[in-house]
Amino acid sequence: MCDWCEKYGNGYERWYFNPSNYARRLYKIRKEEAEASGAEANPQAAGGMAFVGRDFLEARERGDMAEVERTKQQIEGAMWLTHFGQVITLEEALKITDIMYPISLITCACRRSMEGLPDDENFTCMGMGAGMYKWERWPDTYRGGVHFLTPDEAKEVLAKLNKRGLVHSIYTFGTPYLAGLCNCDYPDCAAIRTAIDLEIKILWKGHYVAKIDPELCNGCASCVHRCQFRALSFVPNRNKAYIDQLQCFGCGLCATECDQEAITLVERAGLPALANVW
Amino acid sequence: MLPTITVNDEKCKEPISCRKCLLICPTHVLGLGTDVGPQKFREIDPSHFIVRAVRFDKCSGCMDCVNVCPQNAIQVSFSGGDAR
Ligand code: SF4
Ligand code: SF4
Ligand code: SF4
Ligand code: SF4
Repeated sequence: MCDWCEKYGNGYERWYFNPSNYARRLYKIRKEEAEASGAEANPQAAGGMAFVGRDFLEARERGDMAEVERTKQQIEGAMWLTHFGQVITLEEALKITDIMYPISLITCACRRSMEGLPDDENFTCMGMGAGMYKWERWPDTYRGGVHFLTPDEAKEVLAKLNKRGLVHSIYTFGTPYLAGLCNCDYPDCAAIRTAIDLEIKILWKGHYVAKIDPELCNGCASCVHRCQFRALSFVPNRNKAYIDQLQCFGCGLCATECDQEAITLVERAGLPALANVW
Repeated sequence: MLPTITVNDEKCKEPISCRKCLLICPTHVLGLGTDVGPQKFREIDPSHFIVRAVRFDKCSGCMDCVNVCPQNAIQVSFSGGDAR
C-alpha cells in the first residue's frame, strides 16, 4: 500500500481524496511551525527546488553507492516531511477540484527558473487552499498574479493542460497538507527531473500502471511522445508501442492519447511485483 | 566526467531578459535563481537574479552557452580544477 494513503488516508480511497489533508488547520500548523523556527511560511521556502550537492554527483560518478544511498535517504527524509509530490491521473485531478477550495491558476516556478519563461506564458500550476488568500505577501512566488478558478474552470484548465501533454501531480507543503496541483514535464520540472535523472524520490509514482493490449494497438505511435518518464517506447519489429511497467509512473497521459483504447490503467496494488514500487 | 561551470554575476546583469544560455543549452543545465531569499511583500529586483548550472550532471561540454553569452560571463571546464 502507498505509505501516504496508509498514514493519511483515514478511510478514503487515496490520501489526496481525504479533505482533511487540505484543511486550514494543517495550513496553520505548517505556518506556525515555520514561523516558530524563525522561517517565513513562504510556499517556495518550504521546499523550493530540490538541492543536490556536487558531493552526491561525484559519489555517483565514482560508483560509491553507499554514499549515494546515504545522501539520497537524507534528502528524501527531509523532503517527505516538507515538500514532495505524487503523480495522479487527469480523472483524479478533476475529482480533487470538487474536494478543494479555493483553486487558483499560478505561474510555474520550475519553468520560470529553467526557461526564464515570461509570466504570461507560464500559467500551468495550481495553488490550493487557505494559503492562496495570502498570495500577495509573496509577490515573487506568485509572479504574474493569481487567477482564482471555479471548480468547472479548473477542470477545463486541467483538461487543456493534459491535452498539451503535461503530467498532473499533487504536492505537500508541510506533509500531509496538500496545496499544489502541478502540471509538469521533463526536463524543466524539478521533481520529475530529480526523480528520473537522479533517482531521488521527491515525486512518487501514482496508483496506476499503464498496460498495452497488443491486439488493439495498431502501431500508430501517437502515444509515444506523451511519456515524460522514459517508460514508453516503440518496437518497430512488432509495430507496437511498449511500456516498461517498472518504470511507468501511472500518469495516464499515453492512455488519453490512444484512440484505439489499447492502453489501460491498472491498479498498482494489484500487481505483486509493483505494489511497492513507488 | 563532471564539469565545473561558473557564471560571472558582474557580467551577467540582466539574465531574465537575456536568458540566451538557458534556451540554447541542449540538456537544460542552466537555471535562474536569486542571490536573496524569498522577499515578503516585495518583488525581487531583476538585478538580484543569477544564472547557475543547476543540472550540471547533464552537461556535455558542447560550449554552446559559453559561445552564445553576449557578456562572456560563462566558463565551463572539465579539467577537474576550479574554473574560477
Ligand atoms: S496510441 Fe494506441 S494504437 Fe497508437 S501506438 Fe500507442 S497504444 Fe498503439
Ligand atoms: S507509460 Fe503512460 S502512464 Fe506510464 S508514465 Fe508513461 S505516459 Fe504515464
Ligand atoms: S557546455 Fe553545452 S551542455 Fe554544458 S551547460 Fe553549456 S550549453 Fe549546456
Ligand atoms: S547568456 Fe550570459 S548574459 Fe545572458 S543570461 Fe546567460 S550568462 Fe547571463
